Amino acid sequence: MTPLAFEALYQAEWQELEQLLDRVLKRTTKKFEEPLRGERIAALYRRACEHLALARARSYPAYMLDRLDRLTADAHQVIYQQRGELGGSALWHIVAQDFPRAVRADHVFVWVAAALFILPLLVVGVLVYFQPNLILSVVDASTAAQFEQMYSRSAESIGRAPTAATNWVAFGGYIRNNISIAFQCFASGLAAGVGSIFYLVLNGALIGAVAGYLTERGLSETFYSFVVTHGAFELTAIVLSGAAGLKLGHSLLAPGRRTRRQSLVHAAGECVVIVYGVTAMLVVAAAIEAFWSSSVWVPNAVKYGVASVCWIVVLAYFTRQGRHAA
Amino acid sequence: MAHDVLDTVVAAETPEGIVLELRPAGLSARFYAFLIDWLVRLLILYAAAIAQAFMGGFGIGFWFVFLFLLEWFYPVVFELSRSGATPGKSMVGIKVVMDNGLPITPAASFTRNLLRVADFLPFLFGAGILSILLRQDSKRLGDLAAATIVVHQPQRPPKLKLDDVVPVAPFKPLAPSDQAALVALAARAPTLTAERLDELAALAATVSGDGGKAGPHVTRRVLGVAQWAMGKRA
Repeated sequence: MTPLAFEALYQAEWQELEQLLDRVLKRTTKKFEEPLRGERIAALYRRACEHLALARARSYPAYMLDRLDRLTADAHQVIYQQRGELGGSALWHIVAQDFPRAVRADHVFVWVAAALFILPLLVVGVLVYFQPNLILSVVDASTAAQFEQMYSRSAESIGRAPTAATNWVAFGGYIRNNISIAFQCFASGLAAGVGSIFYLVLNGALIGAVAGYLTERGLSETFYSFVVTHGAFELTAIVLSGAAGLKLGHSLLAPGRRTRRQSLVHAAGECVVIVYGVTAMLVVAAAIEAFWSSSVWVPNAVKYGVASVCWIVVLAYFTRQGRHAA
Repeated sequence: MAHDVLDTVVAAETPEGIVLELRPAGLSARFYAFLIDWLVRLLILYAAAIAQAFMGGFGIGFWFVFLFLLEWFYPVVFELSRSGATPGKSMVGIKVVMDNGLPITPAASFTRNLLRVADFLPFLFGAGILSILLRQDSKRLGDLAAATIVVHQPQRPPKLKLDDVVPVAPFKPLAPSDQAALVALAARAPTLTAERLDELAALAATVSGDGGKAGPHVTRRVLGVAQWAMGKRA
């Protein structure tokens, strides 16, 4: 069959499919009376696939192959697209099941990341407590003085740099800094896990240094009552983002029976659920830190009470939530 | 097989057994897109700075959140839109799709844009640039992990304009690939200068029995064979 005869024979089907696709992809402003029939698109798509295969095998002219290429590619996109991930029920599914399950499935990475974070925190904390001068090898003198002032008993709102004038400013600052740190901690894990290890140890050591220093200065009461509540979300989230980064690096180093590329794609798909969860946790942490932890009017006993509830909720969430299909 | 080496087309097979051709976008196209996006972001930032000045104490908090969103989610929002491309990418004519040619999923967009951090290492996108240059499919590390690919948007080719050419039966039987080459030449004819067209047609002159000759009349006969291959008869 000659190309022109072929085109004349099937032209009508191609045009119908083109019009249907224009409608689905909203490339036309025309109004249509009849309802859109999905099964017609599928049927015409399969026909067009056959025609394309024939046209290629017979080396039909370039313009016709191009038309059929475009037609099948557009129809393929319309028929196979997966865009259901962002709906409300999908997000709820992540919170109720996927996130805690993903964390439990990767508990080895979580424990390793926790160790990489907590050990430097304890070691540096104890060192600075007994040798306060060491704080100067972590931050400069003016920053150390600022920390002291932020957690002093006379501070108007606890744990806040003097530049942050209102709760809202502090909230914005926490969102930007903490979530960026978590994202970096995760993404740099692609470098064989080295980046995640670096960020976990660095943040552990920094927090340890500040804690040790302030404890030695006798400000433990304001400091611990400040960090303990939002710490349930913030510290856990940093550890989890590090764990996701370690998993990413591990998938490259030890791909198992997959190729390195398949292994990376697979691991990234599982990690992204954890990163979703970490992002949400850090938003919660920022809100608590800005509006609750810093308030002077709440008695410390209440703060510790709320904090223990938060820690129990977080730990129970990761150990119990989503064990049974909802 | 120089053709195979030079061409960077990536094939994605559909369940129907059709091979979709994806044309990966190289470093220069992506660099220009990045540059334009950078400028767009600067403009947005400028507008937001003016807006936040009128919001008082709440404004600076909003400013930080906005900076954070712009920094990390500017590409995600645009990639998940119908066009699948940031303003920079769509101006350059490229877009992001999944490896199998489908529209990008939210998880993949999130992944590839978070991993931009890893592409930035050790400095100034060193890892990303190296990956784009070394790989046949021009993926950066984020694309590798997210199973996405940045492709050129297909361009619509011109339809054959051979109405005034008299069809000529080929001098000898022509294989489909030879016919395809002739038709491709005919499709390009309007974009070539007359001299260049004569040169190219002379290479194919054996099909009309004019082997070894060149000139406008040979060209017309070669194009005539292309017309014949398209199904036209005198």
